[in-house]
Amino acid sequence: MATYLIRRLLWLIPILFVVALITFIMMHAAPGGPWDRDLNARQVDATTQNTLNEYYGLDKPLWRQFTAYVFGDVNKENKFVCGLVCGNLGPSYRVRGRTVQDILFEPPKEKSFLYSRFGYSMRLGGLALSMAILIGIPAGMIAALKQNTWIDYVSLFITSIGISIPSFVMAIFLIIIFASMLHLVNVVPKDWDDGKAWILPAAVLGFGTMAFTARLTRASMLEVLRQDYVRTARAKGLHERVVIFRHMLRNALIPVVTILGPALAALVTGSFIIETMFGFPGMGRAYVTAIGQRDYSMILGTTLLFVFLVSLANLTVDMLYVVIDPRIRINE
Amino acid sequence: MRKLFALLSLLVIASMALAACGGGAAPATEAPVVPAEPQATEAPAEPTAEPYHGTLRINMGSFPDIVDPQKSSFVGEIAVLKLVYEGLTRLDKDLNTIPAAAESWEYNDDATVLTFTLREGLTYSDGSLLNAARFEYSFHRNSDPATAGEYASIADDILGAAEFRSCAENCDAVRDAFYENTKASHADGAACTGYDDEACNTFTIKLKQAGPYFHTVASLWVGYPAKQELIEAGGENWWLDAANHIGNGPFVMTTLEQGTQVAFVPNETYWAGVATYDIDYAYIVDGAVAFEAYKNDEFDIVGLGAEDLGTVQNDPTLSAEANIYPGSCTFAMMFHQQKAPFTDVKVREAFAMAIDRDAWVSDVLKGLGSSTLTWIPKGFPGYQDGETRLAFDAAAAVQSLTDGGYTVVDGQLIGADGKAIEIVDTFSDTPRNRTRNEWLVAKWKEVLGIDVKLNPVESTTYTALTKDINTAPQMFILGWCADYPDPQNWLSVYWKTGAFGERIGYSNPELDALMTQADAELDSAKRADLYAQAQDMLVAGSPVAFMWNNVNSYLVKPWVKGATQTPMDSGWIGDNDPLSITLEAH
Amino acid sequence: MTNTTAAKQQKLISEGDSGALRSRSPWRDATGRLMRNKASVTGLVIILFFTLLTIFAPQIAPHNPLQLNSGQGFLPPSWVEESGNGTKGIPDYPLGTDTLGRDALSRIIYGARVSMIVGFAPTAIILLMGTFVGMMAGYYGGRWDNFLMRLTDIMYGFPDLLFFIITLVALRDTWIGEFMNGLFLLFLALAVVNWVGVARLVRGQVLSLKEKEFVEAARSIGAKDSRIMMKHLLPNILGPIIVQGSFAIPSMIITEAILGYLGLGLKPTTDPEAFFITSWGSLLLEGQSAINAQPYLLLAPAICVALVVLAFTFVGDGLRDALDPRMRGTQ
Repeated sequence: MATYLIRRLLWLIPILFVVALITFIMMHAAPGGPWDRDLNARQVDATTQNTLNEYYGLDKPLWRQFTAYVFGDVNKENKFVCGLVCGNLGPSYRVRGRTVQDILFEPPKEKSFLYSRFGYSMRLGGLALSMAILIGIPAGMIAALKQNTWIDYVSLFITSIGISIPSFVMAIFLIIIFASMLHLVNVVPKDWDDGKAWILPAAVLGFGTMAFTARLTRASMLEVLRQDYVRTARAKGLHERVVIFRHMLRNALIPVVTILGPALAALVTGSFIIETMFGFPGMGRAYVTAIGQRDYSMILGTTLLFVFLVSLANLTVDMLYVVIDPRIRINE
Repeated sequence: MRKLFALLSLLVIASMALAACGGGAAPATEAPVVPAEPQATEAPAEPTAEPYHGTLRINMGSFPDIVDPQKSSFVGEIAVLKLVYEGLTRLDKDLNTIPAAAESWEYNDDATVLTFTLREGLTYSDGSLLNAARFEYSFHRNSDPATAGEYASIADDILGAAEFRSCAENCDAVRDAFYENTKASHADGAACTGYDDEACNTFTIKLKQAGPYFHTVASLWVGYPAKQELIEAGGENWWLDAANHIGNGPFVMTTLEQGTQVAFVPNETYWAGVATYDIDYAYIVDGAVAFEAYKNDEFDIVGLGAEDLGTVQNDPTLSAEANIYPGSCTFAMMFHQQKAPFTDVKVREAFAMAIDRDAWVSDVLKGLGSSTLTWIPKGFPGYQDGETRLAFDAAAAVQSLTDGGYTVVDGQLIGADGKAIEIVDTFSDTPRNRTRNEWLVAKWKEVLGIDVKLNPVESTTYTALTKDINTAPQMFILGWCADYPDPQNWLSVYWKTGAFGERIGYSNPELDALMTQADAELDSAKRADLYAQAQDMLVAGSPVAFMWNNVNSYLVKPWVKGATQTPMDSGWIGDNDPLSITLEAH
Repeated sequence: MTNTTAAKQQKLISEGDSGALRSRSPWRDATGRLMRNKASVTGLVIILFFTLLTIFAPQIAPHNPLQLNSGQGFLPPSWVEESGNGTKGIPDYPLGTDTLGRDALSRIIYGARVSMIVGFAPTAIILLMGTFVGMMAGYYGGRWDNFLMRLTDIMYGFPDLLFFIITLVALRDTWIGEFMNGLFLLFLALAVVNWVGVARLVRGQVLSLKEKEFVEAARSIGAKDSRIMMKHLLPNILGPIIVQGSFAIPSMIITEAILGYLGLGLKPTTDPEAFFITSWGSLLLEGQSAINAQPYLLLAPAICVALVVLAFTFVGDGLRDALDPRMRGTQ
């Protein structure tokens, strides 16, 4: 097990490298650059553009820019600046003067890490995922056990809404209902230290995952329901609760766990809609707008962070397989 | 699942970008707003005679990237700077340049030297002295290549500024030469001794050619006097800390919370008076959410979008709260002068005359805009009333094509040489731009019978394409918004050979000469006349189809009194003169 | 020896089955069970309905979906007496009009064309590709598994927006970009970035299933790997795959809309004779920005998407049950 873990963690290095390389090539192949700004405003003039390119080393050949990003390079003042290998994610071209790791991980003065952009997103993503699991799995189980009853159909209806209605639409509907009509919360949350402010954002963010979890749980529960060992267990006269939890759920969870890994990573980095609609100070916006803005370091930084999270989540899932179903062996 | 998320996000970017690219209103104003701590600040009116002190809650849309006078360039960034700092001059509500930190200014005889005299007893909000040396520092910093400000080129009219800015190495000589041309001094010309020199009240700028408009340029944010010692102590990110924003404007920043809020209280030491309310900027990007929050009394001022206009106008309360007034931009359909068939003035005229601008404004912009047939918008110095050339005229449009020897067969434009010419309308892809261009193309089909192909491209790709004369598309919509209200900014800055008009291959030596002459003219009546001639010449050559001017549109709660409407408002109604606003208890 | 065992088994099975069922082929058997499932039939009817809409759109649509009507923008549906913006519905436009005064109903009918195809085609590619890769990885394990799963790690992390922008710029003017008004390129792009989720899901299932007794049994009687995968593993993992599929469909429909705004996918057209004119996804986006002006513009396409999703879910569930080897021969 330990060897396996270490090997998988070592695998992260080539994965991150390959992702960085492909992303680097693609982003430089996309037309435009970080200084192409809002067309309504005066564009950055050629002189300033040259100065900036030189300052950031964007005038160097591409291979050199890449090695500078990954390993480091000497800057204009002839000082060596270490790259990705030292944990340096590079300077943001949009918020000049700040590095990508500053923007993502640095909390405001005198606050804990949880108040950084990543910290906020992590908390919201965690909350959304817990909601998805706590509601989705039981809902799916009940729907399967009561297959083709009204409970099943209600759950089908709700989950269908969950997947057909995009989250930006869901957000505005929930705001109109809970804030404008019922006045239960403010339209715009003012204080993120107030737990109430998190309910709507987490619901909007987690709804899709919740629906997916519920459907998937139901489907695999139905598979398991018909297995011989379930019939045997029932025939043995085991208590129904024991049958459901010890025999069925365990086996039914494999596909659910598979999607929950990447889902967590996606929920943490995917708070973009929440940020535009609720003013949530997370990292999703940085992640998504960076591509449109051609903020090269930010694209690479957020992509690598995402790959890192996904890989870790997938590793955890692979370990969980063994816990859930001891027959699965890990290839040493 | 994540993939979907990323894409959905894109949609939202799109709806933000639409405001930016060819949108009818200033970008930041179309976005909705987030309020900040309204309850806390809305203390109930006290029964005593104490005047009501409320908080004005405004939604500003996207959070600023950089709040640094010499580096910022976006509307939302400027709206923050404008409250905290003040330049040498400022604009009044009729767009006249009036004294601000400078009490007066004068030009020498040939308008190449501009001398400002500062107000007596000017201080920063912390009580420290504000003398001319502070402005000297700001102008030096603005043109410094190490600053590489994105708006720095606006001050290139200063002698030596462009050279300093583009200097790569061994810059001491160029720098010293530039410093000679932007100098603070005593009134008698004696050198200043530093930031605590009380007699240091004169600031002199030498221009590279006559520039009788430059006192207006001095009102821009690039000249705001942020403190050198705070900037240097704070490093590149000095602006992140609200405590470093010690300014001379009507407000003092108390909070700058990344991504969520910027808050201000009145500056007790501001020379023109003290405001009676606090301000909270909030940042909700989505328009529909901001509108809900406004209706729920969580915001006092939000931008009003075209989609919501009908609803607002039909509601007696909301319609009374809508403020719609002219903006500072002109939008036009650009024709590439070097790409067939728009090399031919007849084709350009035909396409221009086939656009019914009034229908455009009512059907597409839903009334949030005003049609125009000229370049400088109404309300700006240099506006010419009564332009009628190239107005909508279906018959004349068709005739113009025929005159040029063109025929239309099966939706194809056939040139005089018998070759079919494909016409493509390129635009930055947002939901709003899509409807806009679908409308235009349908109209051209209707009037001229030509099938114009629609070509949506990703927005940064669009910017990159349109910046360069070689890649600029055949036709595309582009706007220009005033940096400062002077015809020079509309005509010379845009249409001189090698300037912005270059991207569509426009170059007219005759017009260049006329504009150069106007720029240097000291007599204001003669100067205005020269610019009028220039604009006339521009319209006559019909390089583009002028289409519409944007409007500023805001919803304002009834308890906000006295907001002045100015085309140059950047971010919210009345931000050009916040002291005129008062809040009533509510 | 082996012969007798096989014969005995055969005999046992025939005795267990009723004679009538034996004569049916497994496919007819499955079809029969599918048709007896009311939910599935409802789903099939809905799908058939929308399919007919796509084919006969020009005959069914009351108006030209591209016809602009000056001054008649944002009309509410005909039954609305007074809408939020003060306009009144007229019978001519049953579902009202959009911002430019185009008939909302006709646009929805034409929109079905793109959305049905976009929902279905890439999903099919994704499921096929993901299932194949996931099975190989899960079944063979070892190096194969390691390689494929690291590949999926990479694909997961890869920023697809960038991929779409590049694809757009590189290919939009080639024949691939022009084919089917740009839709074909869209299918490919969507499939390339989306198959990894299915692959991981299938692999997880296979990992667990391949240790089960019936697989062991099949292997011990010498069944080929391909037979084990097709006959024993695939039917047992259909459930989650079908769920994934029914979730992929709406996400493709919405993604198409958003990609449309990147210039990838459906290109806007002004030719009423064109086959692909608009899509539900685009209508959803237009509706969202107009939510205060005319909520029906959002509701109508949203309901259509939800209906299609429900329909595919019903049919998917029914299919899974019908194809389930343990259900063979039952009601």
